[in-house]
Amino acid sequence: MARDPKHDILFEPIDIGPKTMKNRFYQIPHCNGFGSEKPLNQAHFRAMKAEGGYAAVCTEYCSIHPESDDTHRVSARLWDDDDIKNLGLMCDMLHEHGALAAAELWYGGPHAPCMETRCVPRAPSQIPSDFEHLTYPKEMDKDDIREVQGFYVEAAKRAREAGFDIVYVYGSHSYLPQQFLTPYYNRRKDEYGGSFENRARFWRETIEQVREAVGDDCAIAVRMSTDMFMGEAGTQLERDCLPFVELVDEIVDVWDINVSGISEWGEDATPSRFYESGRMLPWQKAVKGVSKKPVLGVGRFTSPDLMVEAINDGALDIIATCRPSISDPFLPKKIDEGRLDDIRECIGCNICISRWEIGGPPVICTQNATAGEEYRRGWHPEKFEKASNADNDVLVVGAGPAGMECARVLGERGMRRVHLVEGQDDMGGIMRWIPQFPGLGEWGRVVNYRKIQIDKLKNVEFIPNTRLDAEGVKNYGAEIVIVATGGYWATDGLNGCTHDTIPGADASQAWCATPEQIMVEGKAVGDKVLIVDNDGYFTGVSVAEKLAEEGKQVTLMTHLGHIAPYMHFTLEAPNMHRKLHKLKVEIVTYQIPTEMTEGKVTSAHVYDEEHLTEWGVDSVVLVTQRRSNEALYRELKDSVGIDALESEGITGFYRIGDCVAPRLVADCIFDGHRLAREIDSENPDVPLPFKRERHVIEREAVLA
Amino acid sequence: MLGDEVEFTDDERDVDPDYLDFALNEWDTYATEEALRLVEAAGSGEVVVVSVGDEDAEDAMRRCLAMGADRGIRVEAEGRLDPIQVARALAEVVQSESADLVFAGVQSSDSVQAATGGALAGLLDMPSVAVVTKIELGDGKATVNRELEGGLVDVVEVDTPAVLTIQTGINEPRYATLRAIKQAEEKEIEVRPVGDLDEPASRVRKMFVPPKGEGAEMLNGGAAEVAQRIQEIVQEKLA
Repeated sequence: MARDPKHDILFEPIDIGPKTMKNRFYQIPHCNGFGSEKPLNQAHFRAMKAEGGYAAVCTEYCSIHPESDDTHRVSARLWDDDDIKNLGLMCDMLHEHGALAAAELWYGGPHAPCMETRCVPRAPSQIPSDFEHLTYPKEMDKDDIREVQGFYVEAAKRAREAGFDIVYVYGSHSYLPQQFLTPYYNRRKDEYGGSFENRARFWRETIEQVREAVGDDCAIAVRMSTDMFMGEAGTQLERDCLPFVELVDEIVDVWDINVSGISEWGEDATPSRFYESGRMLPWQKAVKGVSKKPVLGVGRFTSPDLMVEAINDGALDIIATCRPSISDPFLPKKIDEGRLDDIRECIGCNICISRWEIGGPPVICTQNATAGEEYRRGWHPEKFEKASNADNDVLVVGAGPAGMECARVLGERGMRRVHLVEGQDDMGGIMRWIPQFPGLGEWGRVVNYRKIQIDKLKNVEFIPNTRLDAEGVKNYGAEIVIVATGGYWATDGLNGCTHDTIPGADASQAWCATPEQIMVEGKAVGDKVLIVDNDGYFTGVSVAEKLAEEGKQVTLMTHLGHIAPYMHFTLEAPNMHRKLHKLKVEIVTYQIPTEMTEGKVTSAHVYDEEHLTEWGVDSVVLVTQRRSNEALYRELKDSVGIDALESEGITGFYRIGDCVAPRLVADCIFDGHRLAREIDSENPDVPLPFKRERHVIEREAVLA
Repeated sequence: MLGDEVEFTDDERDVDPDYLDFALNEWDTYATEEALRLVEAAGSGEVVVVSVGDEDAEDAMRRCLAMGADRGIRVEAEGRLDPIQVARALAEVVQSESADLVFAGVQSSDSVQAATGGALAGLLDMPSVAVVTKIELGDGKATVNRELEGGLVDVVEVDTPAVLTIQTGINEPRYATLRAIKQAEEKEIEVRPVGDLDEPASRVRKMFVPPKGEGAEMLNGGAAEVAQRIQEIVQEKLA
């Protein structure tokens, strides 16, 4: 198909300094867990986006010196010649696809805890980090300033040698150059603090020096946060940022504009729960108003119409994407080819970011199971090998996230017939009701994308309103049977704190409910509600928000020290706290119910079990733990038996998703995808080993 | 079924078959289900699926067989036929089979002419009821509901054999299991030569994609903006 002419502007080339981007699609710096030390994963991950049509692709934050060591989190590094070799591969692979390579040179100051290098970070003032607890920096004197600026220059030269076309002097997210610009971090009295001119001095000088070192060979990018939302103390658009743009516009080739500091950078990497696409356009447009250089920026753009509007409206020249490029590395190509309904849109759940925040694990994506698997598993998001057992018919029981993804990928792999059989009248499983929680509407894209794709696959048939029992499965006529019957919330208070049920908890009673009883069955709850949350992610707080919005008096009780601790990693926590506070939800931490009955709950402090508290309530909602819905699987395996299945011609019998163990939607989709990718392996039940990038020693040589 | 792109045959009188996917017409799915239900309720009988066309028609017929129809008869014919010609081809088969009831879909989902069933009844000199939403079978007669405009329903009694054109929604069609689909591959589809179809009663002179008209206003912007604009337009039109 052909591109819609209204999207043509997205495919016009644009010059940035000495370089030219072939179109307007730019992958903003973002982490993936690979850094410089998993170079093959890194290169293949980035190159996939270049193959998908991105005109420029950036590293994650790229440390310029061991003093900027973010361990436990994983950054790229350009510390020495070996790092040049490792990141050079990424540059080469990007260039093969005609894309520019960009390196985001980064010095973290107090936010970098230096847990591996054991260095001491330097900063404008000696104030511990607001992001990385207990990290104190050394306050820089003028020699320190010269020395650190030298680090930038040397790293920029290494970036050039590696083959990077664009080098950043990165400030956003409260890193060193922006620390100098920001009174919150900079309390200096010398010529590097105080007035705007003084606070801008470090960043200006550093840009000048980097430009001097590599400016004829590389484009110079500056990434700046234009509002920290912290009043006088933070960076401010009018007072600091627009003057700074005017000050250095001559020596900058491209501006990368966002908002927020580091401790609440969910204001930049906005969860869909709180912000729509294009949230930062007003700030980006303000910078474009004063700069003569191209301006790029993110906004979780997945809609080409919105991208075009951002350009036509004079807010952006280049459409930068981070999460949408993880969710669909082929976003540009699909727009170019007019295949808009093939775009796998980011849902803004931030599960990708959670992995960086946790520190270490590779990036994952709810929508794109192949993200991070390009090298180590050899998965391509758009290419599928015909299965060697493609002459088989497959029955997938359950059209939740795992079942849908499995059926889709089996269809792509050319299985003769795939029947996706579902008890309900439509696909989606838990993702039919989770997006009905306040703010989670975009999560429904998980279902929409797969429905459209399954509809296009001629060999995949969706069969609704059909609840198969074991006999029905046995006689269905498939050679391969995959059970994906999902999970459910425990109805008896079983939980991961006491590893026991809660005496009296019983969701068959009118006063006691589980989340799905409320969301799916519409079970009514009383005015005074106690929610018991031992899960710690979005469900408990979402139920609390929903019920509080309906006017209930809500108490949210958890055995943990925080409500929804996983939301810290997804950057949803700060605004979630604000919202629940505003809704007057009472938060009770370190408490676990010991007994409940109609009208009354007794709880104990987890560190003082003798200390009991009584709560008078009308209703209780149990968000204690989930269980696998494995009845059908067990009946098939234990009662019917594998032999009987085999005698009916069923040679493969597997289960996937929550039906195996309840987990993140991202992991369920991965599970379904993984089984389908390996359906023709020797034992599809067991994942094939993936390639591990590690240093393998020669024992003899070491000992000699 | 037509994809997003379409091209026409060189004579500009039909869609190029390369741009078509063949699937069982929705109305025929309901008709098949209704026939199966009546036979199942009666405890005996046979459902015979009849189609006119080339070998491509057999995929759709096999879907009916997978649902449970007993056998199929395909009248070998190629090219574009109008509903009268199709009815002529079908009439010969119906006569030879001495059917107790003849079901057709209200209309096909590609040509949407809604003429074949009526024409068939005329050729066979059978009573016919169109757009049927309920059937109660009696002895030598049937009481059927036919759908009228505006949600009205007409209940009529009709002598059988009769031709009924079946409306969607009359039942909930069953899905075929993989086993049934495999078994349907083994079921018999008898191929009969086509008789004299005579001249068509209608002709397609030209097929084309209608040109884009003027005057469409694209509403851009956020949901609130668009909603407000729609409100304005509606108010303008009503004023």
